[in-house]
Amino acid sequence: MQPFAFVHADSVDDALATGGRDGARYIAGGTTLVDLMRLEVMRPRSIVDITGLPLTAIEDMRGGVRIGALATNTGVAYHPLITTRFPALVEALLSGASPQLRNMATVGGNLLQRTRCPYFRDGVSPCNKRAPGSGCAALDGYTRSHAVLGTSGRCIATHPSDMCVALVALDATVHTRGPSGVRAIPIGDFHTLPGDHPEIESALLPGELVTHVELPASAFAARSRYTKVRDRASFSFALASCAVALDLRGTAIRDARIALGGIATKPWRAREAERWLLGRATTTDNFRRAAAIALEGASPRPDNAFKVELARRTIVRALQRGAS
Amino acid sequence: MTATPPTPAAPAGKSPSPAAPNAPVASNAPAPNSAAPAAPSGPRAIGMPIERIDARAKLTGTAIYAAETPVANVAHAVIVGSTAARGRLRSVDTDAARRQPGVLAVLAPGAVPKLPAAPTSGTGNPADRVLQLLQDDKIWYADQPIAVVVADTLERAQHAAALVTAAYDSTPPVAEIDAALGEAYTPEKLAPFGEPATTRGDFDAGLAAAHARITATYTTPVENHNPMEPHATIAVWHGDTKLTLYDATQGIFGVRNKIAKVFGLEPTDVRVIDHYVGGGFGCKGTPWSHVALAALAARAVGRPVKLVVTRPQMFALVGHRPKTVQTLTLGADAAGKLTAIRHTVVSETSRFDQFVEPSALQTRHLYSCPNVITTHQLVKLDIPTPTFQRAPGESTGTYALESAMDELAYALRIDPLELRIRNHSVRDEQDDKPYSSNALLACYQRGAARFGWSRRTASPGSMRDRGTRIGWGMATATYPARMSPSSAIARMRPDGILLVQAGTQDIGTGTYTIMTQIAADAMGIPIEQVRFELGDTAFPETPVSGGSQTAASTGTAVKLAVDKLRDQLIALRQSPDEPWAHVVARSGRPELTAEHKTDKRPDTHSYHSHGATFAEVRIDPDTGEIRVARVVAVYAAGTILNPRTALSQLEGGIVWGIGMALQEHTVRDRRTGRAVTRDLADYHIPVHADIPELDVSFVEEPDPFVNPLGIKGIGELGITGVTAAIANAVYHATGKRVRDLPITLDKLL
Amino acid sequence: MSESFVSGPSVGSAAPDLVVPGLERRVSHAEPRVLAFVRDGKLTEPVTELPTIRAELRGLGAELVVVSPGGVWSVRADDPLEPLAAASAELAAEVSDAAQRYGVTHDEDAVFVIDGRGVVRFNHRLERRGRALWATLTDALTIAGRAAHMREGHDARQRVLFTRREWTVTCLVVGCATAFLSACKEQEHRPADRRSPPAEPAPPDVEVMLRINGTVHRLTIDPRTSLLDALRERLGMTGTKKGCDGGQCGACTVLIDGKRVVSCLTLAAMVGDRDITTIEGLARDGALHPVQRAFVEHDGLQCGYCTPGQIMSAVALIREGHATSDDEVREQMSGNLCRCGAYPNIIAAIQAARRTRG
Repeated sequence: MQPFAFVHADSVDDALATGGRDGARYIAGGTTLVDLMRLEVMRPRSIVDITGLPLTAIEDMRGGVRIGALATNTGVAYHPLITTRFPALVEALLSGASPQLRNMATVGGNLLQRTRCPYFRDGVSPCNKRAPGSGCAALDGYTRSHAVLGTSGRCIATHPSDMCVALVALDATVHTRGPSGVRAIPIGDFHTLPGDHPEIESALLPGELVTHVELPASAFAARSRYTKVRDRASFSFALASCAVALDLRGTAIRDARIALGGIATKPWRAREAERWLLGRATTTDNFRRAAAIALEGASPRPDNAFKVELARRTIVRALQRGAS
Repeated sequence: MTATPPTPAAPAGKSPSPAAPNAPVASNAPAPNSAAPAAPSGPRAIGMPIERIDARAKLTGTAIYAAETPVANVAHAVIVGSTAARGRLRSVDTDAARRQPGVLAVLAPGAVPKLPAAPTSGTGNPADRVLQLLQDDKIWYADQPIAVVVADTLERAQHAAALVTAAYDSTPPVAEIDAALGEAYTPEKLAPFGEPATTRGDFDAGLAAAHARITATYTTPVENHNPMEPHATIAVWHGDTKLTLYDATQGIFGVRNKIAKVFGLEPTDVRVIDHYVGGGFGCKGTPWSHVALAALAARAVGRPVKLVVTRPQMFALVGHRPKTVQTLTLGADAAGKLTAIRHTVVSETSRFDQFVEPSALQTRHLYSCPNVITTHQLVKLDIPTPTFQRAPGESTGTYALESAMDELAYALRIDPLELRIRNHSVRDEQDDKPYSSNALLACYQRGAARFGWSRRTASPGSMRDRGTRIGWGMATATYPARMSPSSAIARMRPDGILLVQAGTQDIGTGTYTIMTQIAADAMGIPIEQVRFELGDTAFPETPVSGGSQTAASTGTAVKLAVDKLRDQLIALRQSPDEPWAHVVARSGRPELTAEHKTDKRPDTHSYHSHGATFAEVRIDPDTGEIRVARVVAVYAAGTILNPRTALSQLEGGIVWGIGMALQEHTVRDRRTGRAVTRDLADYHIPVHADIPELDVSFVEEPDPFVNPLGIKGIGELGITGVTAAIANAVYHATGKRVRDLPITLDKLL
Repeated sequence: MSESFVSGPSVGSAAPDLVVPGLERRVSHAEPRVLAFVRDGKLTEPVTELPTIRAELRGLGAELVVVSPGGVWSVRADDPLEPLAAASAELAAEVSDAAQRYGVTHDEDAVFVIDGRGVVRFNHRLERRGRALWATLTDALTIAGRAAHMREGHDARQRVLFTRREWTVTCLVVGCATAFLSACKEQEHRPADRRSPPAEPAPPDVEVMLRINGTVHRLTIDPRTSLLDALRERLGMTGTKKGCDGGQCGACTVLIDGKRVVSCLTLAAMVGDRDITTIEGLARDGALHPVQRAFVEHDGLQCGYCTPGQIMSAVALIREGHATSDDEVREQMSGNLCRCGAYPNIIAAIQAARRTRG
């Protein structure tokens, strides 16, 4: 771990003042940052401890919910406002990591969770995300964990978050404060595709701080589900996951949200598939067709080719659960 | 000036009675002096489910593992690994590392002393491996040590290590066995397992005469042991020629001998201590480079050094289970009687040393068959040397053999269990010896009944629970009942406590507990009056805790040492009810002792444990997710010294079998030879949620030949068979025969 | 405090003979030794200080020999206290002679550190000021240990204790890249490049008060220090285990304000105002916590290395109250890996403890 200066922030203003400096990073749960610092993958010059900031509240907001960035995964997953209104978020949070990590990890941190790509994490392989311009060892490497959607010729690293997949299906908005004021960023715009700059992973600007996330009230939130498929029964990252939220009238689909995890470079919204489902019935055939649409354009590699079919089946399973 | 008279010294020449600052003690010890000796009228502690004696220390955090030994002013060492896998090291740049505050030294090739005995070509003897000790510029495998950074704190050493860079003259490695199968060669020996190839009868004729034949190739992947306690060494020099190592090891004497050789010391000048071992499973069975590097670093900086291998480094520096490619050909007559077996094994090894995964060993004797061929071959790759991993040979070998038996059963349309019963071997036909005991048929019977095997419908895919596919599979488990010469010393003290010491190790198997039981029964006293100490080369020499041999080997030595002491006490005793403590007190000596060293066991019999394993899997028909729903396993393993700890060990073995069947796989990048799955998030071992309730039990198996107490080992038996049982269950559920472990869901899509 | 003795051997000079009954067979100085002359011979076992003494002796790689008219004792790091000689008139005379050679008068206590070559490397007059012998001796050992390593750093030539010079010198050529492979081949100990690169300044340490199991520990630490390393490497609380150092195994689980977390990914500097509970804080007055008891009864452990983490996690799980069925408990315990495969017994133990609790 590279040496760093350690600073406690007493207020959001205080945090912004120090966090805006070059090479500074905010730290809350630490589950990503401390890990990657120890691996020498992240080397901030200073660390701003924001755990003392008043950003933990989970509050009702006109039928929706406003979640403070420092609310822990556990705190959110068991909060009555969430369990009653947003089951997909609960399922996503509780399927992620372990109880210990969920007690530490915060909503803000989870939005900024970084990839588990082993070539990113090993500290020595070519990696455009870790060392821009160095190349991508994953492209011709072992790719079981890698993305088939949203990839670029420079990066195929999967976004590992479960929570974010649910947030995408639930139309969340990320609220931030930065040196130049406050912003509200729709979740779909928050994470960025690797493109030519895999080192840039979100719309967050240097020094900008996530303050809270808003989940709007919606007709489909209560029917939302998160389905995760993985290599062991618990405590592992998704091979494929799917958050769905359906607004049904009888068996007819009035509105749908489908978001995918484990297979894409960012929490992935399957808009075409959603659109195709509008007005159709909740039949397995329709779900299969939607799943096929969702995976159109997938670019698999030898080790992760199975994910295309697995993701389709996961979508079908998730839609079946959402419709039942 | 007044003085408290010191207590009398221990007999000269013997190791003193122990410090034992870190040894567990049986709780609730009664006042021992009041206890009169009872005649040992049959065992009282052996066979009882005594609570683990070391449990309290482990549950309260007071058990001190190697790296936790308190050492003032200890410096921290971190190994820097090579990013190249094949070639030569051109240079190492340590400037940045040395500029870091607190860095005491950076050791690298050319800047460390030549060690007197660092072999450069492998003999294949695991006890004397070729180590990488910064002695030359050769690069044999990725992550090979190329430097060691020593600093005053761990944080500083870690970061400085990250700043060391190197340049290489390297060529692309060959790190996958598939790429080099054409270069397979037959090793001279299967050391330490005997001959690499055997032939019995006429295989071709047997196969020609068969009614049904199957041939199939099975592959098992590279796996890593990943004990929860990382390998760690604290090296303390006492002057120039004496060394104490607090080392996480399954074999303190092996470490002692190897390190003495490497540094040109007398073995007696090296002391190795390890009171608690946080799991080993084979990778701590023999010393690896880091142990010597810690000693080297301590010498360089003139103070004690602690070196803990990081989890990612454990995928390269401490051995692995080699990948195997096994081809089985089976022939049987219409009644299912085997007429021919051929089991060929190719496994990987390093370019600089040799290790053979002896996967065909069980095939030589497990089933009755007149015509059997087994072969083992090796392929040299640019990888670290593989090593023993829980049931080396039998774990991978029973997967292949027992999968093939399942395939044969389907070819013959005979129930898989019935096929095994028909081919049961009542005598070791390879060695032409009787088994010392073999209650395998009883295991089949009991296991089938407990599992409900008779309710199985044979056709693949025929059993379902709503949408879920259900599969039932079974397989035979077997592992040799090994035994090596061992020794122990028994000391009766004036306080009536029987202190027994033997070098040995408790790697979680229950050594502390079972040795206490054995000693208590041999002396005829309650276990509360026995203290057993281990994990110190100052104690009598014992074999490595590997090959499931500790209970048999050191247990026998303990029994015979205590027997000897008891005879001595009886001879001195004035009346049959005189307490032992009085006998000692009257003797005028500080304690009465007896030591015993056992001989090699006679080769009159074939010694093996057996078992029958039955597994139910449930498979999601859409996603292919496989969950093991239940396992029933019944074992015949001689005397069960302690059912509580024995069941735990066997259950643990089954958990390993589940991991091997469904999850475990070390992937190497084929371009760099580096492990890609290099942490516990990417290398999956089972978690709680993967493991159902396990139904494990024993059948009686008295064995008058294996050793005086009838002990067979059980540490490895549990992982054998069960992997095949699961693979067979997957076939039964899906009709898909996956012959390439692990059976991950993508293979079922 | 540390001063040379007027009439005794000075640092760097040969240690005088020590002819004491019981010590003859150890007269060789091959092994470093800490020699302590003490006035009184009430050498009862130093129960409280013994672990510290052992740790210091390991740090020095030395044996401690305590010489008094009332007896001679050997203390080694990993052996029991060994009496080498009992009180006798002969012993008293020998000790008196030896003390004289070392310049120690009959009314003072003194400690000498003698290296493996028989050279005095450190001497120290003990000042008890009413404190017990062992406490004073322990302090002396600590000072000796620090002195032994005090002058280390980049100038490794200044090795004080117990190191053969050639070993030290060879380690200095590290980093001299142009030379190193040829040096390797020639196997000659070429004159070392003594120019160490200038050390980078260390970033400032931070002060932290850690409240662990109800006790406050004040530490000055490198901000990089994890809570896990603070516990294990700084506070000697090794019950909390390091299995992966990356949040993947749960062996380092502790409770912070009652919630289970992995201490390997927790920076110690961030938890200064929180209540930390470790495995050492569970048992009360020697009585095991119900979860610990259940682990014994159900044999929920084998090698024991994951066990403290399993137990801390289980204690929290029961408190959380989210898991009741076996499957729920399995799911909620899945952050704690056990390579021995004690899972079924761990679940049985937790369920038993949970039911007991009601």
